[in-house]
Amino acid sequence: MLLSQGYISDDAIAMSVFLSLQLNKPLLVEGPAGVGKTEIAKVMANALHTDLIRLQCYEGLDATHALYEWNYQRQLLHIKMTEHSSQSVDEKEKTIFSDSFLMKRPLLQAITHHKRPVLLIDEIDRSDEEFESFLLEVLSDWQITIPEMGTIRATHIPQVILTGNRTRELSEALRRRCLYLYIDYPDFEKEYLIVKNKLPGVNERLAEQITRFMQQLRNIKLEKTPGLAETLDWATALSSLHIDHLDKAIVEQTLGVILKDWRDTREVQLSLSELMEKTGIISKLDKV
Amino acid sequence: MIQRQTSLAKNIVQFCRFLRQKNFVVGADEETTALQALMLIDHTSPAVFRSALKAVLSRSKQQAEEFDDLFEEYWKQLNKAVDTKTKDNHEKHPALKKQVSFKSLKTWLHGNRNNETEETATYSLQESLSQKDFSSVPEEEIDELMQTIRALAKRMAAKAGRRYKLSHEEDIPDLRQTLRRNMRRGGELLELAYRKPKQNRMKILLLCDVSKSMELYSAFLLQFMYSFQQVYSRIETFAFGTSLKRITPLLKEPNFRKALQLLQAETDDWSGGTRIGECLYELVIHHSKKILDSKTIVIILSDGWDKGNTRLLQQSMEFIHQKARKVIWLNPLAGYASYRPDAEGMQTAMPFIDVFAPVHNAESLKKLGRLL
Repeated sequence: MLLSQGYISDDAIAMSVFLSLQLNKPLLVEGPAGVGKTEIAKVMANALHTDLIRLQCYEGLDATHALYEWNYQRQLLHIKMTEHSSQSVDEKEKTIFSDSFLMKRPLLQAITHHKRPVLLIDEIDRSDEEFESFLLEVLSDWQITIPEMGTIRATHIPQVILTGNRTRELSEALRRRCLYLYIDYPDFEKEYLIVKNKLPGVNERLAEQITRFMQQLRNIKLEKTPGLAETLDWATALSSLHIDHLDKAIVEQTLGVILKDWRDTREVQLSLSELMEKTGIISKLDKV
Repeated sequence: MIQRQTSLAKNIVQFCRFLRQKNFVVGADEETTALQALMLIDHTSPAVFRSALKAVLSRSKQQAEEFDDLFEEYWKQLNKAVDTKTKDNHEKHPALKKQVSFKSLKTWLHGNRNNETEETATYSLQESLSQKDFSSVPEEEIDELMQTIRALAKRMAAKAGRRYKLSHEEDIPDLRQTLRRNMRRGGELLELAYRKPKQNRMKILLLCDVSKSMELYSAFLLQFMYSFQQVYSRIETFAFGTSLKRITPLLKEPNFRKALQLLQAETDDWSGGTRIGECLYELVIHHSKKILDSKTIVIILSDGWDKGNTRLLQQSMEFIHQKARKVIWLNPLAGYASYRPDAEGMQTAMPFIDVFAPVHNAESLKKLGRLL
C-alpha cells in the first residue's frame, strides 16, 4: 500500500501502519528530523482516498486552537442585525450559538468529518503536558463537549498519527493508547531507493554518490544531522543544475542545501577531503 | 519461570509477563491488543510475528531497540524448557541468587547505613559542620542575600504561562466570556471581561551538600538555605552528606539565630563524607512521588566530590532530570578560573544538568540571576 504511493518502507513501518489501520489505534511515530514521519500520514491519506487533517503542536497550544472557537465578530454582527426583531433573548441565544457561528479547529473537524479522515498530530512533544492530557481524553472517548451546544460525538473515528522527535518525554498514559514506531535514518540501500523513486530522472551515478556522501556525513557529530529530506533537496538541486557526479567544488558550493548550521558547515568544510575520500568519490585523477 | 504453553494465547500472556520483568509496561490491555494483532497477520512467518508484537508492545525508542533481543531470549529459554525436563531445578538457582543480592542491597541501603556513616566520619574529618559553632555565621548579610534570592526566585518561578485565565484587571479582552455574560442582557455589550496570562507557579527543590569538602562555604550555605526558605514558600530543602535529611521545617523558623540552633541540634548525624549517589537515590525512592514533577526546579548545591556509588548517582540524576522542569547545579568551586568539572561525581551528573554555575557568595548569586 505504501509503496504504491511512492513511500519506501521497511517491515517495521509497514507492520505498524497495517496494525494501526486494522486495530483502529493511534500510531505514535518518533525519530530524528527529516526521516519521513509526517510523510506517513500524508501517504496514508492518499492511499485511503481521504482527507488529511493536520494539527501542528507548539508550546502553549490550547483547547481553543485545537478544538473550536466561536466566531465572535459574526456573533456580534448578528446580534446587532437582529436588534429590533421580535425574537426573545432565548431564541437569539440559540441562533448565535449554533453550527454556523462555530469555527471548527482540527480536532473537532476530524471527528465531524463526513468520511473517516487521517488526523495528523504533528510534533506532539512540543505542546505542554496540559494539552497532552486533554488530548488523551479526546483520543479515548472520541467526543467533544461544547458547553453552549452539548456533546458532539464522532461520526467516524479518525485514523490518528502522532509524531514527535523526543524533545520531551511523552507521558506513559499517552504511549499506552498508541502503537509505537521508531524510524531511524535509512541505510544505504533504502536511501538510494528512495532517491531514485522520488526523482525518477536523476542520474544513477549521482544518486549513488549523494547517498554515499550522506551516509558518511551522518557519522560525523553535527549540530543538526541532515535527514532524508535534505538528501532529496540536494539531489533535486544537483540534478536541476545538470550535474552528473560529485566533486569537491560542487559539494562546497552546495553545502548550504544539506547543512543548516554554520558550525556544521565549517566543520564539514574542514574535513571535506577526508569525507570525500571515504565516500570514494575522488578519483585518482583529482588527486594528481 | 518459563514453561511451555500449548496455546498461542497462553504463550503471548507468558511472553508479556516476561516483558514486564524487563520493565515493559504491559497490561491486560496490551495483551488483548497483541492477540488481536496476531489474528490479523500471517503468524507462520517468524519475522512478521515478531514485528507485529514489537509494534504493539514496545512504547519507546529504547524498548523498540531492546525488543528483538528479548524476543530471541524468550524463545531460546522456551526451547530449553522443551528440551530438558529438569529445567525447573536449573532455573531456581538464578532466581534465588537474585533475591539474595536484592536483600543484601536492601540491608545495605537501610540497615548498614549507620555503620558506614560512622566509619566515614572517623577517617575523613576532624571538624565539620556538626562540630562547627554556627554562631559564627554572620547575620548581617542575610537581608542582602534574601533580596538577591527574592529576585532570583521571581525570575525562575514566575515565568508567565502561555495560557490565559480570566482577570479583573483591564488587560486583553476575553471575547468569549464577554459575549456569554452579556447575552443575558440581550446581547448589548455592557460589561467587558478581560483575561491575562496565567502564571505557572513553580516549586523549588533545594538539595545542599553539607560534607567536609563544602565546609569552607558552610556559612554561605546556611544563609542560602535559610533565605530561600524564608523568601519562597513553595520550596523543599534537603541536606545531604552521607545521608539525606529533610530540613524544610527547621528553616521555617522566622528567627535566624533560632533556626541555626535548631539546625545545629539536628545535624550531629551529618558528617564528613559525601555519597551523593546514595542520597539522591534515597530522594528518588522516598520523596520523588510527592515533590518531583514538571513544575519543580531542582537546585543542587554541591562541589561534586563523591565517595559513593557513581552508578546510583547517574541513575538518580537521570530520573530527576526526566521528572523535573529544570536541574540547576551550583558549584562553589566553579568560580575559580582554573576549575574543570572533572570530579568523578560531577562528570557523572553533568549530562543531566540544565544550568551549571558557580556560586559561593552573595555576589556570585547576583550573577546567576543574569544567567537564568
